[in-house]
Amino acid sequence: MTSPSVTTATAGRGPSARWGRDLAAGHRGAAVVFLSPAMAVIVLFVVVPIGLTFWISLHEWSMYTPLTDMAWRGLANYRELLADRDFFTALRNTLVYVVLVVAVTLPLAVALGMLLYFPKSAAKGVARAVLFSTYVVPTVATAIVWGALYAPDYGPFAQMFSAVGLSAPAWLSEPGTALVSLVVFHVWQMIGYYTILVVAGLTQIPPDLYEAARIDGAGFWRQTVSVTLPLLRRTTIFMTLITVINAIQVFDPVYILTQGGPAESTSVVSFSIQREAFQYGMAGQASAMAFSLLIVLLAIGGLFLAAMRRRS
Amino acid sequence: MRIITSGGRRAGAVALSAALVIAAAGCGGTDAGGTGGGGGARAVTFLTHWGPEQVAMLKKAATAFQEKNPGVTVTVRAVPFANLLSTLRTQGASPGGPTIASIYDLWLPELVRDGLAAPAPADVAQDLSAGWPANLVEGVTKQGRPRGYPNEVDLYALNYNKKLFAEAGIAAPPKTWDELAATAAKLTKRDGGGGKVTQQGFGVITSWAAGVVHPWLSLVNSNGGALVDGSAPKLDDPKVQAATDLYAKLVKDGVTQPSMSNANANTTGPYLDNFVNGKTGMIIMANWWQSALKEAMGDRFADVGVAPIPVGPDGAASAPVSYSWLTMVNGKADQAKQDAAWKFLTYLNGPDSGQNGSSAMGDILVSMGILPSRTGDLSAHKAELSDPFLSVYVEQLPHARPFPAVLGGEEMSQAVQKHIENVVFGKETAKEAMDAAQREVAGILTKAGA
Repeated sequence: MTSPSVTTATAGRGPSARWGRDLAAGHRGAAVVFLSPAMAVIVLFVVVPIGLTFWISLHEWSMYTPLTDMAWRGLANYRELLADRDFFTALRNTLVYVVLVVAVTLPLAVALGMLLYFPKSAAKGVARAVLFSTYVVPTVATAIVWGALYAPDYGPFAQMFSAVGLSAPAWLSEPGTALVSLVVFHVWQMIGYYTILVVAGLTQIPPDLYEAARIDGAGFWRQTVSVTLPLLRRTTIFMTLITVINAIQVFDPVYILTQGGPAESTSVVSFSIQREAFQYGMAGQASAMAFSLLIVLLAIGGLFLAAMRRRS
Repeated sequence: MRIITSGGRRAGAVALSAALVIAAAGCGGTDAGGTGGGGGARAVTFLTHWGPEQVAMLKKAATAFQEKNPGVTVTVRAVPFANLLSTLRTQGASPGGPTIASIYDLWLPELVRDGLAAPAPADVAQDLSAGWPANLVEGVTKQGRPRGYPNEVDLYALNYNKKLFAEAGIAAPPKTWDELAATAAKLTKRDGGGGKVTQQGFGVITSWAAGVVHPWLSLVNSNGGALVDGSAPKLDDPKVQAATDLYAKLVKDGVTQPSMSNANANTTGPYLDNFVNGKTGMIIMANWWQSALKEAMGDRFADVGVAPIPVGPDGAASAPVSYSWLTMVNGKADQAKQDAAWKFLTYLNGPDSGQNGSSAMGDILVSMGILPSRTGDLSAHKAELSDPFLSVYVEQLPHARPFPAVLGGEEMSQAVQKHIENVVFGKETAKEAMDAAQREVAGILTKAGA
């Protein structure tokens, strides 16, 4: 009789082991074949542009000339970025925007998600569809409409304030309110999407837990605090990540409604990148900004993934 | 659960556009000797930012040209004004990019440097010398050769609401800065006597570089100042600072309301709405907005008065900013396409393409309330250009000073915009703003190699 280890060692040298290795190699080969179309697409449309963006960030380029005519600058674009006050203004605005969006969106989405999930009503489906519809309409169209809603004094929002005897803020026309107005627009547009995520998360919570909690005498608030919120943790972490990424990438409403103004108050990083590249013709500098933003996004994504792993 | 986020979609779109942009730019270069276009025809693409009505007129001229020139096809492609430069950047260097582009003169130095604005052939240069004012031909001449046909000319003047003037008992528009401040004060109305301003005396524009800088620079020029001297900024000149001080004073006095000044990407927005709705007494704007005013005001357009820019204490005469648009031919297109493009432009800007001796280009521009630059077009449209609104602009044209078209001009303009807005919103004093702008603009122009 041989010990298991000896058996394994012997088998490792026998025909069945070769067959196992061949099978494994065959599986690997099949995996490569099946994955290669997707990998090719990812490499072509994600890896290559990212690599090229980094390469361009090391050059000076107006975009009017072929790539081969770019002038080498090394890390000079990155050094200039560190001394660029406008870039740091854009970074600060982006940070404020992200914090406000996350702070408003998450609790609101959780509250709306619970409102749309727990009540026994046939109107829930309609309410979900209506809420989600704002996410489906292109931002360009909704931003134009919101531009009219935000018109100072004569706009519908201002009229609503006047009707109740309040002085309306200047919305997009004042540096102090412009960024917040864009946050309100963002929350309105995206809340339906996040609410659906919350509803999806709520469906994963076993109803038995609520029943057990009720038997133990827990009311609605106790159930929310002790059952719903803890079991929604993975959903909320994922939502936070997506919200942060979406908020950092904000561009369309800034471009359409404020052009970064007034007085640079809504100049965010993505808008600065566009302005640098397409208006100033400094694609190298813009690429350095874009690559820096990518690094920040990767770092944030990594932190969230680590948090999710630790929680699970 | 598979979730596709908008961020994911955006990232995909960005990656895809980046790949396409890079591919287009990488493939850029002269396709010398080719005929271009499909089926042996020379296919010319005309990139413009005009609206549907003007595009229809341009297409009509293109059709007439094609009938006379078999083998050449002219396709018109219109994009919004805000996307014109980015379209040119992403597609200009590609052989399949636009053959003709309508461009703002501030963009010309960079386009010439990078070989996109082709030099005009000898016959076109001759045509220009014979039919256009010399200063305008000079404006489109870079490195010793004309780079396109000058088309529209825009300049600034004081626009005011005659009805509001009458209500306030004001007989005539202001001629000096002191009169401007006094008139603005008379026109300003507040809720309940001392409350919120419901009608501002003098409006400014924010969130739009040209809308901010050009009216302000018109006041600077009319005070004997200048934005640059060659490639050296002059923002710390007291004559320039005085115009910024004027803005600060108007805001401080409450006769200019920054919250009524916003513009959007379509160069419309509250600043326009407030003037149209009689909430702004005076504003400095260019002639091209005549069509927007007419459309928005209807019969009330008759209330709009136009006057020269008020003169500052150190100025001798009104000297508004002017700028122009030109049509250039893409130097990256193959030679056959370039030849066809110049031929079409010569026709489009010639007396045979339009009505009553005007060129088709002249007809298109005048339909928008824009001043044409060809001498023959100015004569052909004398009647339209004599209306009370445009006639003041036409009278001021000889005194206008072109906005400096230098390398780095776009960035310079936006740097100045930022600091003027900082003054308007009380974030900087006039001196702080102009000193900071002076440093920034000096750096921008040096870096751009202006």
